Amino acid sequence: MKLGVHARSIIVLTVICLVWGGLLAAVHDFTRESIERAENAEINAALSIIFPGGQFTSENGYYGCTENGALVGYAIISKGKGYGGEMKVIVGVGLDNRVAGVYVLSHSETTGIGSRATENAFLGQFTGKTLDNLQLKKNGGEIDAVTGATISSNAVTNAVHDGIQILIEGIGGT
Amino acid sequence: MKLKEFTKGIIRQNPVLVLVIGLCPTLAITTRVENAIGMAAALAFVLISSNLLISAMRNFIPREVRIPAYIVVIASFVTTIEFIIHGSSPAIYQQLGIFLPLITVNCIVLGRAEAFASKRPMKDTLLDTAGMSVGFAVIIFAISAIREFFGTGHIVIFGQEVVPKILASPAGGMILPAGAFLTMGALLAILKRLKVL
Repeated sequence: MKLGVHARSIIVLTVICLVWGGLLAAVHDFTRESIERAENAEINAALSIIFPGGQFTSENGYYGCTENGALVGYAIISKGKGYGGEMKVIVGVGLDNRVAGVYVLSHSETTGIGSRATENAFLGQFTGKTLDNLQLKKNGGEIDAVTGATISSNAVTNAVHDGIQILIEGIGGT
Repeated sequence: MKLKEFTKGIIRQNPVLVLVIGLCPTLAITTRVENAIGMAAALAFVLISSNLLISAMRNFIPREVRIPAYIVVIASFVTTIEFIIHGSSPAIYQQLGIFLPLITVNCIVLGRAEAFASKRPMKDTLLDTAGMSVGFAVIIFAISAIREFFGTGHIVIFGQEVVPKILASPAGGMILPAGAFLTMGALLAILKRLKVL
């Protein structure tokens, strides 16, 4: 009987989907904590590179940093469009509105080429710069692009610029 | 025990070099040995566990809906390993990127399910998929080692410099996509010449 065959197919597939959906929900619940912990640990490690020895609090979308109880700066996660996709950057700004530090959280740039725009030799340039100078040199700023990786360099620079701008404007000239 | 069900996946029916399936991760993530290890482990987990289950359910799944049923099982295992890697090793999770969820549609997994696991008992399926996993792992390990060494000059695995920086001026092209094709082609040619394949 034709209908019987179809009914059996539908029932079996529905049962399989239900069972596996339920199991996945359980797995998700079980691993959620470790995933959150891993993500927070990564952000905290990045913040500690930008503000060594600081204490961090998370506030609506940005991070406040205090050292020995005194506020020293803010940090925010910012994004730029690189050659291989989105680049996620964490930028810190001091109370003097200068860049305190930059760290790349995630990227999909080509290893050995675009990825050099995520290394300290490039990122170190940002420290101490003010908002007006956060452009590549060819765009009138003060940042040297990595040779052969202009798109990646530009993505990081734009992410830093946008992040710092949000921090300065949003927090009302810290 | 039919040991040849295990050994055939390593050389005679090697998934990458002979069956030429699963090329997408093979070419894309072999820029570093570290990535290859992560991918090989993830694929082995998904391949063996999903195919064992498909083999166990082979008399229960109607022919008409077998492909969607396989995909549901495979996707569930992929999502599980994705959660586990994300929680335990964010760096590898980051590196594998989109190729981790794409294991769902990896031809090796679905191909073995359709060609082998859906017709054979679990014992044979275990041997078959274990052999395929080893075959895949050996090849992507070899390709990634060649590409990382010639492309960056040294090999670093989990922060340990396994091969020191011998090449002063590495060929950056080896870690670009073209390097993957060149390496795989050369490997295939050499193995054919030596009559290994």
